Amino acid sequence: MASRILVPMDDSKLAGQALEYALDNFSDADVTVIHVVGVPSSLMGEAAGLALEDNIEEAAAERAEPAFERAREIANERDREIDTIVGVGHPARNIVGRAENYDTIVLGAHGADRSRMVRRFLVGNVAETVSKRAPIPVIIVR
Amino acid sequence: MVEVLLAIGIIASIFVGFNIGGSSTGIAWGPPVGAGIVIKTTAAGLMTFFVFLGGWTVGRNVMDTLSGGIITTELTLSAGVAVLFFIGLGILAANIFGVPVPTSMTTVGAIAGLGLATDSLNYATVTEILSYWIVTPFVGFWIGGIIGRYIYPKVNQRVQIEKSDGPLLTIHRTGAVPKPTFGPNTTWSELSGTAVVLILGCYMAFSAGASNVPNAAAPLVGGVGGVKPNVAILIATLAIGVGGFTIARRTMESVGSELSNIPLLAALFVMFTASTITTLLSWIGIPISLVLATVMTIVGIGWGRATRPVTVREAITRDTGDPTIVSGAITAEGIEGKSAAPIGGDEPEEMVDAGDLFNPRAIIKYLSMWIIGPSISTILAYGFFLFIPGVA
Repeated sequence: MASRILVPMDDSKLAGQALEYALDNFSDADVTVIHVVGVPSSLMGEAAGLALEDNIEEAAAERAEPAFERAREIANERDREIDTIVGVGHPARNIVGRAENYDTIVLGAHGADRSRMVRRFLVGNVAETVSKRAPIPVIIVR
Repeated sequence: MVEVLLAIGIIASIFVGFNIGGSSTGIAWGPPVGAGIVIKTTAAGLMTFFVFLGGWTVGRNVMDTLSGGIITTELTLSAGVAVLFFIGLGILAANIFGVPVPTSMTTVGAIAGLGLATDSLNYATVTEILSYWIVTPFVGFWIGGIIGRYIYPKVNQRVQIEKSDGPLLTIHRTGAVPKPTFGPNTTWSELSGTAVVLILGCYMAFSAGASNVPNAAAPLVGGVGGVKPNVAILIATLAIGVGGFTIARRTMESVGSELSNIPLLAALFVMFTASTITTLLSWIGIPISLVLATVMTIVGIGWGRATRPVTVREAITRDTGDPTIVSGAITAEGIEGKSAAPIGGDEPEEMVDAGDLFNPRAIIKYLSMWIIGPSISTILAYGFFLFIPGVA
């Protein structure tokens, strides 16, 4: 039984469903939600804006807060607690890089605004990349 | 027949200009509008005027390159109209898929495709343009990097851009001559800061005109049945202006929101650098994308800042809280208790690695995205003019 689960979350609906799945199906596991900020975008505004902050760590945490709030809400409904991690830069790389500390990754099949080609080109399909490269089992929620 | 062709050409040119107006107004005025320094209508008005100025003056050099420099023969009206359609196609793709397509490069790509197909490509000019295109992103990146690493942190300590409540200036009409005085909360520094923001917006609009008016105008100025350069410039400017007043309301938010992630002060550095690069290259007749110059400067500033090691001293002092926010626009007073750390200090243990924001692989991938549009336009135009030879 997996005891440490990593749930990457972006702003998409499916990310919330992935967390719900993880909480419902692994009732005694430690669930950690990771949210990546400063993701590459068409003008690199997000990444540059973060880089220019005086305290990058603090700013990154602040930007991740809405996602974590949503995650905590989902967890609260189930009387569960979650850990949170903030990553910066490329989502898949962040997730795969941390995978070895966990037993399973649970994530949505696709992220927010998947229709945007810029995002698809720069960020790629996170679920696909993670399932290909992660050294641990990956559950993809559809 | 020529009249119909010209009419189609003008419509295509207006479509191109309209969309250019939307995107470049967003880039030039997104930050000032986002900061509440100007309203969208004022921005669009200033945009139109300075685009015209840029197109009318420096833009002519670029027009010469587009209509007679890239290909050895003069660009005919029918070929020009076809080229406009390829530019339009690129813009359409940009709108539909949300991919950034640098219009100036797409234009050169389409004309070069024409030159290849009709065996009239001026290789010397194209090589020159290509070499500038290869060098410019590096220059933008490098200047941005220097700003981000050395200049921005220092300036950021001394300068706060802040908008106070109430109008900037109020007009007193009691005397014989209406006399402007400061608004209720206005200070000299706010006034000068606002002026800097406005001037840079106008400068960027000027460079947008210099680099972008020719894209919509040059294809119309072809041989028999074409319009005069001045008329073409006016048509292009009007179309850009209409775009600035209409769809730019949206792009000032979408593009502006990308840019508004960046602090206004950094955005001003970006605007100055990108406008200068674009204006200088346009001056010597090299078509260059304002957007490309802008993004490379942004990437450079972000990279420069992200890879700047944080010293222990800064790590300690930065916890003393935010510097006092001085009401007023740009205040040139040193703020105590917060000093720029020297470069190369020890990096404290940090959970977040800012270097991940701009790792080399991501930057290369990002850059390659900008090459796709112009390459596709070259290939499409080449195929088109090869199989439909009558057009050129």
